[in-house]
Amino acid sequence: MKQPQMNRRSVLKAGAGLAGLAALGLPASAFAQERRLRMYWWGSKERADRTLQVNKLYQNTYTGVAIDGETLAWGDYWPRLATQTAGRNAPDVIQMDYRYIAEYARRGALLPLDPHVGKGLDLKDFPPSVVDSGKVDGKIYGISLGGNTSSTIYDKDAFAAVGLPPPNLDTDWKAFAKLMAEFTKAAKRPGYFGSQDGGGLEPIFEGWLRTRGQELYTPDNKLGFGEKDIEEWFAYWADMRASGGCVTPELQALDKQNVENNMLTLGKAAIGFAHSNQLVAFQSLNKSKLAMTSYPTGGPGAKPGQYIKPSMLFSLSARTKEVDEAVRVLNFFVNDVTAGKILGVERGVPASAPVLKGIAESLDDLGRAMADYIAAMNSRVGPLPQTPPGGAGEIQVLLRRVNEQIGFDRLKVADGAKLFVSEASRILARG
Amino acid sequence: MTTLASPSVAVGGARWVRSLRRNLPGYLFLLPWLLGFLGLTLVPALGSLYLSFTEFDLLRDPRWVGAANYVRIATDDPKFVASLYVTFVYVALSVPLKLALALAVAMLLNKGIAGLPLYRAVFYLPSLLGASVAIAVLWRQLFAGNGLVNQVVFLLFGVQGPSWISDPDYTLYTLVVLSVWQFGSPMIIFLAGLRQIPQDIYEAAQIDGASKVRQFFRITLPMLTPVIFFNAVVKTIDAFKAFTPAYIISEGTGGPIDSTLFYTLYLYQEAFAYFRMGYASALAWILLVIIAFFTAFSFLSSRYWVHYDD
Repeated sequence: MKQPQMNRRSVLKAGAGLAGLAALGLPASAFAQERRLRMYWWGSKERADRTLQVNKLYQNTYTGVAIDGETLAWGDYWPRLATQTAGRNAPDVIQMDYRYIAEYARRGALLPLDPHVGKGLDLKDFPPSVVDSGKVDGKIYGISLGGNTSSTIYDKDAFAAVGLPPPNLDTDWKAFAKLMAEFTKAAKRPGYFGSQDGGGLEPIFEGWLRTRGQELYTPDNKLGFGEKDIEEWFAYWADMRASGGCVTPELQALDKQNVENNMLTLGKAAIGFAHSNQLVAFQSLNKSKLAMTSYPTGGPGAKPGQYIKPSMLFSLSARTKEVDEAVRVLNFFVNDVTAGKILGVERGVPASAPVLKGIAESLDDLGRAMADYIAAMNSRVGPLPQTPPGGAGEIQVLLRRVNEQIGFDRLKVADGAKLFVSEASRILARG
Repeated sequence: MTTLASPSVAVGGARWVRSLRRNLPGYLFLLPWLLGFLGLTLVPALGSLYLSFTEFDLLRDPRWVGAANYVRIATDDPKFVASLYVTFVYVALSVPLKLALALAVAMLLNKGIAGLPLYRAVFYLPSLLGASVAIAVLWRQLFAGNGLVNQVVFLLFGVQGPSWISDPDYTLYTLVVLSVWQFGSPMIIFLAGLRQIPQDIYEAAQIDGASKVRQFFRITLPMLTPVIFFNAVVKTIDAFKAFTPAYIISEGTGGPIDSTLFYTLYLYQEAFAYFRMGYASALAWILLVIIAFFTAFSFLSSRYWVHYDD
């Protein structure tokens, strides 16, 4: 048999073939003439549809730049953003969360926007508190895409059917527990309860703490509450489970802290806790009519537990090559009324009063309910808490786990409180 | 020839070059795999070894911390212990059960029944789909509190079954069942192994009056030990690395109460939920050592129970 021979010609041929392959493999954008921006956000399909529509509108208004949209669910969003940022390949326009903005800004991944304010980025209709919510160490790194606050979302039809009044802005924690137990009794459906189990959910715990004048974390990044406090909290939900006011632990374990698997959506409870802007997504997955009110309050004279925060922000990558274009896109999203009409209140209620006024007419009932809710809450909210310390994400998971351990009878309430405080302190010490 | 100096001494370099030139086509054909192996396996693996001695959050440069990650894993990490326990239970239960089921089905299919290729394909199907996200999602539906499994339980026994995927007493075992169900690939290998056993041995045994059970333990099992060995090693490694089912069924949390916190899932959380790439790399290397240990143990013990016929 003839050995395969290599000579100059065959090597050249192979080289030409490889070059051809390489050319095929190159992304088409390398040859495209137009400039491109990448925009990246998390959220539901509803959000993707609206965002892509605004991007199209932008491209029709300002020719010369194309926007590529990329979207993922919350859980997958952050690993990918971190990986891309580490690979010096971050998207130009980044949807940012209040929880993460400080980390990204301090590590130099985001572009300070101060030089562009008044020159391409118009913030004159933004309340100063909203502008501040996008600041890290005194510089603006993110622009709020809408305000939201925590809320109690309830099934209006279910409450009407049993003849009980749904919770309202004045319902306190005690009255809430009583109402939930009554609801479950009145509904008389096995496996159907008044409320979801909120004992493992950090936002609700935070709301409850703040009515007592406490915070999750102190300014020097320690726990802002003690063992006795969280013991009281776990006991509240243990009592709730015992009275049948909230779902069983087996059911609550199915809740993956998203709209799709919330107890309300799964038809296990008449009440779910969520961010106010999620009402749109909840309603799209629920057949019965939903409505919203605040978390239970601390009763007369207590401090307001809730706060209005940017539901999400737009930030720009520090490495974006098209700074002016990216700033213009950002400005379009927060100041253009036509864009505002498309976006509605799906990302929260717009910060700019003229935009809110401009879109008011085009809002549907749901959007109006949300805008009304935020307006009603304006006088009942406290200041924004400090950005959470490193390890806060882990403590969020810990709260859920300890509440499960108590729910499944693996731990007594007092031992759960002790375990939580000792593990949380460990996590904070590690940072 | 004798007048020439030995070429290996005088022009060693040239010989090396010549040998390379002769083998170049071979290397060229090997290149795609070699590039993949170097670029996607070896270099990243060494990179992770380096990272395991650092603190690295993806955004800032890695910071050298010496053996601190390993020290912490060994002395101060209850989640490491918990996830190791969950993983060991999973491996210890799923591998023997899966192999037993695979062997049983292979023996049934070895009887020369009509439509064998069809049955083989049907039984193999779960293994093809097994690691996929769709199956794990389907599993979630089947084993939920009011899922199909509990409806059948209710019809048969009149009792309400537990929620298989959200009660921490059952979740891990549900995942074991999911794994055992994917017995297709060891089954195919067992089937091939069974075909290799000479029929005359059975005939001789039959004439001597050996029962079917005795034939199984004295002929089938010993003759199959090389195949059992292979399947056991491969499936043990697979089970240690299992990730998708736990990730999907618990949506990445490992819950309820860490009952499905597989080692790989814990590693993933450290890396991609908390961005501790250095720590996660150290965890990955410990998993490598654990798997290497079990594989080496299997190979060393094999000489006492694996029979290769000569």
